[in-house]
Amino acid sequence: MLKKLGLAVACIGAIGLFASYGAADEKPEVNKKEIKPAMLFGDMSLVTQDLLNRAGDDGNNFLHTNGNYLQTRYYPARQINVSNVSRLRPAWIFQTDVIDSLETSPIVVNGTMYVTTSFDHVFALNARTGEEIWAYRHKMGPITTYCCGPNNRGVAVYGDMVYLATLDSKLVALDAKTGEVKWTKEIADPEKGYSETMAPTAVKGMILIGTNGGEYGIRGFVKAFDAKTGDLKWTFYTIPEDTKGVWATTDATGRDMHRDIEAEKAAYQKLGPDLYQKLGGGVWQNPAVDLETNRIYFVVGNPSPDLDGSIRPGDNLYTDSLVSLDLDTGKYICHFQYIAHDVWDLDAVSPTIITQVADKDGKMIKGVLHAGKTGHVYVHDAKDCSLIRYSEAMVPQENMWVLPTKDGARMLPGANGGVEWSPMAIDPHAGLAYAINLHQPMTYHVESTKYPDGKLWLGGAFKVIPTEEQWGNITAVNYNTGKIQWQVKTQQPMIGGILATAGGLVFAGEGNGHFKAYDSQTGSALWDFQAGAGVNAPPSSYTVEGKQYIVVGAGGNTQIDYKRGNSIIAFSLPD
Amino acid sequence: MGRGKGTLALLLVSAGAAPSFADPIEDKAAICSACHGENGIPNDKAIPIIWGQNEGYIYIELRDMKKGARKNDQMAPIVENLERDDMMALAAYFAAKPWPNLDQPRAAPADANHFAVMANSGQCGACHQSGFKGAGTQPRLAGQTYEYLLKTMLDFRSGARANNDWMTSLLKTFSEDDIKQMARVLAGL
Ligand code: HEC
Ligand code: HEC
Repeated sequence: MLKKLGLAVACIGAIGLFASYGAADEKPEVNKKEIKPAMLFGDMSLVTQDLLNRAGDDGNNFLHTNGNYLQTRYYPARQINVSNVSRLRPAWIFQTDVIDSLETSPIVVNGTMYVTTSFDHVFALNARTGEEIWAYRHKMGPITTYCCGPNNRGVAVYGDMVYLATLDSKLVALDAKTGEVKWTKEIADPEKGYSETMAPTAVKGMILIGTNGGEYGIRGFVKAFDAKTGDLKWTFYTIPEDTKGVWATTDATGRDMHRDIEAEKAAYQKLGPDLYQKLGGGVWQNPAVDLETNRIYFVVGNPSPDLDGSIRPGDNLYTDSLVSLDLDTGKYICHFQYIAHDVWDLDAVSPTIITQVADKDGKMIKGVLHAGKTGHVYVHDAKDCSLIRYSEAMVPQENMWVLPTKDGARMLPGANGGVEWSPMAIDPHAGLAYAINLHQPMTYHVESTKYPDGKLWLGGAFKVIPTEEQWGNITAVNYNTGKIQWQVKTQQPMIGGILATAGGLVFAGEGNGHFKAYDSQTGSALWDFQAGAGVNAPPSSYTVEGKQYIVVGAGGNTQIDYKRGNSIIAFSLPD
Repeated sequence: MGRGKGTLALLLVSAGAAPSFADPIEDKAAICSACHGENGIPNDKAIPIIWGQNEGYIYIELRDMKKGARKNDQMAPIVENLERDDMMALAAYFAAKPWPNLDQPRAAPADANHFAVMANSGQCGACHQSGFKGAGTQPRLAGQTYEYLLKTMLDFRSGARANNDWMTSLLKTFSEDDIKQMARVLAGL
């Protein structure tokens, strides 16, 4: 999922790029401050499996990147609600030492918050006051290869440890109390194009992690490491050895993708056997975990090279797909491919959500949701991954699926989506899914180049059309019908994430620094705060000493070039 | 492509082999100074600054030159006998040095504005990052010598520098004048 920057229109002058930051120059190290005991709750900082399982009903903590194992981002506390949100105001602001893209999902465990920054620094904060408890500054290895900014989307917590995956493709286990490194493991070789920006997932003694690299000719995977020792437990390659698939001619919505199947079949004879080693298939975001069936569900990104299909005939399994695995073994259970043989990088990135959905006959069954860069919310049967329905398009679609050309073919959506890596939230009681979208018209260009040994390999380019307007929206989709319930247009393309709460609210930030609360049933804007830098990170919520907070990072975004900053801002109601 | 300098480098290679340096990496690095400068200021303006350049990038360039993916007459004999460990050590050694200030003129506001538009459309900042200082395997451009920046961008464009298809395709979309202007602004940062 190479994220193409909307630079042509972006109103922030490139002068913003000259803002200096110290991150790359600093020599990172652990900063051991005096350790403060966990307040109020005594030593309850141990994160048990039981605590993690019950996160969905836990109105004190925020334990998972997307709130809970089902990844609903639906927060059960309702102290902050539609009737009082207008009085929400900053409780504290913590400034990290890295002024760059913030994509972190703050994690909160019994009054301690963990946030990460670009270049993989981790801060433990007092969640009530914003005071720093400790800081870990990752000593970056010399070689890092990443397409879309030095981002990090946060930590996982488990037992007495905090887990972080880094740009130089390492998994790092830190002592939750001190920030000291317990162990470090190499996930994959960064010189071959592997890097990490996602938060890990902690479950049943394992730390699960995917990989970036679909822009560099990697072979994607999800790996499970032992949480205590860091030993590798299993690897699932997102690219099987046989990648040809069923020679699908239409996408998930039935539109013709203009493939020349005969030519591809002929090419597959020759190229097929070796394709899997460099076919991409990154996994950018966390799997949803179903502990009842012991399965995980995640989506797989684009094939490599992004735009040049001529050298990778076949469906390119399991790129651009929903995949389900057995949690204990990493064995394949089912998949559903949205776009076979993708040549537009309109891949699958936004994290999956597990929830009850109406099947075709209206019966409620366990389902899986995913929001595509295509602009559709897809609704699947969790049992076999099959597609039940897809929503109305949330953004304009034009000229789909025109093939990329040398001089560029215009198609909407542009290659960032629709919905990028930004997680959705749902309100399971209302049957609504909330997605944030981009509208960035682009042209798709193809130019065949050979595998460049771990360097950027797009097989062409995506270009923002400078004369066309860009914007974004927040869309509430009824996932039981596929209909759009409400939609709010935003000034700029949206990237970051969204949070829904039992207080009848959704919270989402914008590139222009606005952080807003909306009525989750109607979309009416109820509250607005100007954060001074792009709010392009998923918000979290938590409660300490009876007070509910909403917290979000305001650090802007490298990918869409939104104004950078370094603030973590927590909001609460006045006493 | 100053042929004379190639000879000089070769002479220095043999001089360096004499046991006059205690640290083997200092020993290897001393050879580089003949062209890249004793104090980090290159002896010829078309030779890039490597002091304070990003570690991963220095390594990748040495690797690519040895593989032949990036061709240069002066560097070729230098990298010929370097192993991966040597390259890594040299990269760490030079990355730790301070970036020298060449005091190149800052761009006029009009140039800077035009540059901002170009950098915007070429998305330069996404990879070369805040302040154009790069990170990891992405090179620092800020304050690099004007002559080198210009030469290497034109080399990318013509294909003479062939170790990054992306930069080649991207720079093909800019005119020579645009590239001159970008080099001037970047040199003056
Ligand atoms: C004979 C002169 C000479 C010597 C000696 C020399 N270099 Fe170079 N080096 C050059 C030239 C000229 C270039 C620019 C090549 C081009 O234009 O593509 C260069 C380029 C480089 C680059 C690429 C920098 C960039 O910004 O892309 C690196 C890294 C480098 N040299 C490292 C070294 C190291 C390390 C040594 C010593 C082991 C060394 N060089 C010795 C002349 C020399
Ligand atoms: C997608 C990432 C990306 C973008 C966007 C990008 N570059 Fe680069 N650039 C690189 C990488 C990586 C290299 C190192 C090339 C190599 O592999 O040797 C590089 C190399 C360079 C170099 C040579 C530096 C040296 O020391 O030799 C210059 C100059 C440069 N880029 C200028 C630009 C300009 C100007 C723009 C915008 C118009 C731009 N780049 C956009 C990734 C990028």
